[in-house]
Amino acid sequence: MNRHLVTLICITLPVVLLVIAAELIDDRLLTRLATTLCINMILVLGLQIFTGNSGILSFAHIGFMGIGAYTSAVITMPARLKSMALPELYPIMQGVQLDPLVGMAIGGVVAALVAAIVAYPLMRLSDAAAVITSFALLMILHTIMVHWSEVTNGPRTLFGIVEATTLQLAAAAAVVAAIGAYWFKESRVGILLRAVRNDEVAAAAIGAHIPLLRWRAYVLSAFYAGIGGALWAHFITSFSPNAFYLRETFVILGMLVIGGPATVSGAVFGVFSVTAVFEGLRALEKAINAADLFSSTVVGLTEIILALVMLIVLILRPGGIIERNEFGTLARWPFMKKQNSSRGE
Amino acid sequence: MLVVENLVVRYGPVAAVKGIDLAVGENEMVSLLGANGAGKSTTLLAIAGAIRPHSGRILFDGADITGMKAEKAVAAGIAMVPETRDVFADLTVRENLLLGGFIHRRRRAACEQEMESLMTMFPVLRERMHQPGGTLSGGEQQQLVIARAMMARPRLLLLDEPSLGLAPLIVNHIFELIERLRRTGIAILLVEQNATKALQAADRAYVMSLGTIAMSGTGAEVAGSSDLESIYLGRSG
Amino acid sequence: MDVGTILQFTLDVLNLGSLYALMALGLVVIYGILKLVNFAYGELVMVAGYTLYLLNGSPLPWLIMALVAVCMAVIGGITTDLVAFRPVRANSLTAMLITSFAFSTLLQNAALLFISPRARNVPLPEIFTQSVTMLGVIIPVRNLITIASAFILLGAFTLVMKRTVLGMALRAAASNFTMARMVGIPANFIITVAFAISGLFAGVVAMLWLGRIGAVVPGIGLEPLLVAFIACVIGGMRSLVGAVVGGYLLALIDVSFNYALPPDLLSFRDAFTFTMVIVILLLRPSGLIKGPDTGKRT
Repeated sequence: MNRHLVTLICITLPVVLLVIAAELIDDRLLTRLATTLCINMILVLGLQIFTGNSGILSFAHIGFMGIGAYTSAVITMPARLKSMALPELYPIMQGVQLDPLVGMAIGGVVAALVAAIVAYPLMRLSDAAAVITSFALLMILHTIMVHWSEVTNGPRTLFGIVEATTLQLAAAAAVVAAIGAYWFKESRVGILLRAVRNDEVAAAAIGAHIPLLRWRAYVLSAFYAGIGGALWAHFITSFSPNAFYLRETFVILGMLVIGGPATVSGAVFGVFSVTAVFEGLRALEKAINAADLFSSTVVGLTEIILALVMLIVLILRPGGIIERNEFGTLARWPFMKKQNSSRGE
Repeated sequence: MLVVENLVVRYGPVAAVKGIDLAVGENEMVSLLGANGAGKSTTLLAIAGAIRPHSGRILFDGADITGMKAEKAVAAGIAMVPETRDVFADLTVRENLLLGGFIHRRRRAACEQEMESLMTMFPVLRERMHQPGGTLSGGEQQQLVIARAMMARPRLLLLDEPSLGLAPLIVNHIFELIERLRRTGIAILLVEQNATKALQAADRAYVMSLGTIAMSGTGAEVAGSSDLESIYLGRSG
Repeated sequence: MDVGTILQFTLDVLNLGSLYALMALGLVVIYGILKLVNFAYGELVMVAGYTLYLLNGSPLPWLIMALVAVCMAVIGGITTDLVAFRPVRANSLTAMLITSFAFSTLLQNAALLFISPRARNVPLPEIFTQSVTMLGVIIPVRNLITIASAFILLGAFTLVMKRTVLGMALRAAASNFTMARMVGIPANFIITVAFAISGLFAGVVAMLWLGRIGAVVPGIGLEPLLVAFIACVIGGMRSLVGAVVGGYLLALIDVSFNYALPPDLLSFRDAFTFTMVIVILLLRPSGLIKGPDTGKRT
């Protein structure tokens, strides 16, 4: 059994186990939680594909999630609901009502297309300029979502979205996403990108076209975000543009950073561990509020703890908890010893 | 005064300096020679505290200063003139010099006096006093950087390639200035590629090759050695 | 266009520009030295705002309350450095960006948790609600206060940067940090000073900003951060003069849009300005005013 296979099993098995557990326990809350986790996993993996391989932080990711969510929501909405939920919608789109699965796929593609067009010129920027432009891009996408009321219902909540995301669907997508992210990392483009991250000059010298490499990762990353957003839209069924803004960015970024952006294993680990902590805290917040211990309701505790954990992880382990090695090379499996020694490392 | 023992400096997996020993005595002028990439500048930066050595010891007046921060090294009496000739480009010549005396900033009068005496030694700086450092010519910038380092009133001056990219006439002038500085009683560790010049000026010299010391001796000894050329060309075996 | 309109327009630009310029300076003081966008900058404005709110009802005169609030922003700035930056400075730039983002979230949610998600009114002196009439134009006194405070602060800041050794050291550190250390300027100290200055600007901005909006909410810091951000990019992220110019220029653009654009397009104004940010970064990465040359030869 080689290390790739071990890694793939390690990053997909938790999802499968989660689904089985949810099916066995059959608790509505647990099912919802597991579905959210799977969707977050797709979003985090999407960010990992770009940030993890290129080393460039991207803030715009959640904006692409929004594109996917709105696209799929609008094109799958039943016509009779459209006149209420989106009174200003362009007439040409009023009759459109696609199957949710088709809608989600289109959501991902549209997000990827938008990314492909706007991002190409940005890919030659590095460091601070790259971060600033990605932040500006998030602001632009957010402004458009808030004000393009024909399609998004403006800053108001868009409701009446078809409920189509089941736990099985989200989990299947998460498994595919994990395999895809790992495949990308180990592909030629992924390997070159990581080489660029370590030494831009040297990578350019061996003929790596840096902007083009980054662009490919970016488009794939936006596709993930779009799919994740579409799945989320058909799961939550009503949302406003504020769902795709700094708070969500912070959560997704937090999961990736804590887990370890450079590895797919780290991304998956980050999603599971942060979700566990998050839900624990959320429950605590609820319990405190239910017990009426304080005069006012407790809000924000969860975010405070997540922020503190992020700070501590970055100070103690700047590369995240799983810094460099994927599960496959991380674990010293008894049956792999031979291989390791024979590789002479 | 300065003793370096078994110094190793690594850039990631690459060792640029592989365990060297060297020493500089009071008021001594020592040259550190070698080809490009031999590890001379790295050695100097490690002494100045700009990069952290991997292992080995650096002693200054008997005190262990290994891995000391750059700003602490200045306070200890070591001033560095880097190869990159880093004037603060948008600060005037006067401001550059004042900052050279940053560690003595509480004694403003003494700083002004020091600046005055340096101006006598570097008259061109007086003419350029209120011009931004970035507008100076290469030779003038080199003088400014040396004068700025002297403002800290160091006991050991580290000079990295002061002749780099300068016309021969100006190089001669810079070396004259270095000689005069030395007569003020400080010790100088000079890194140079211009071996002839550096050996003429130095009491002693070390020749580095691929991160190790390949040869050492008095300036005349090293200059007279037949191996010098082959070491430079990296054929030291 | 009559004289009144011109006066109105000019004062609008000057008023908004003064605020923007101060916001931008606070951000660029840090960026110049660390090459880092401090996402927690807006929260310093928030800290000052909540300090003022908590002092509500105290017998102190308003100016003293404002002074305390500004001091809290300065302390907040120094804390940002100690908590979010110093421990990770040796790591990557990305790490610093994320910690600043995390620290920003931390402060905002602390305000949510310990104070309230709802807006809280802050005490303001009478003068902030008064206005004078000039050439038939009604001018709120707070606008004049804003303009005057900005000019005084900018003047004082220029003097400090030009005349004092500390100011020179700050400029040197922005120009070439490694070399600054090699002449004996202590890195930690100079960065902490930069954060304190950043806090000072944030504090003053908070007082003037609150004078306009009258209440503080946990998310109050976002707008100043974004404005500072855009102004810096326009003017040039590495230059202090650029930040000020960028601030006034952004105000000119914003006010012109307000006067000229129809309302349904006006709502997309932010999208326009952020697109401009991206275009400027692509075509002229150093902004309109070039920052200090690093002076490096190799």
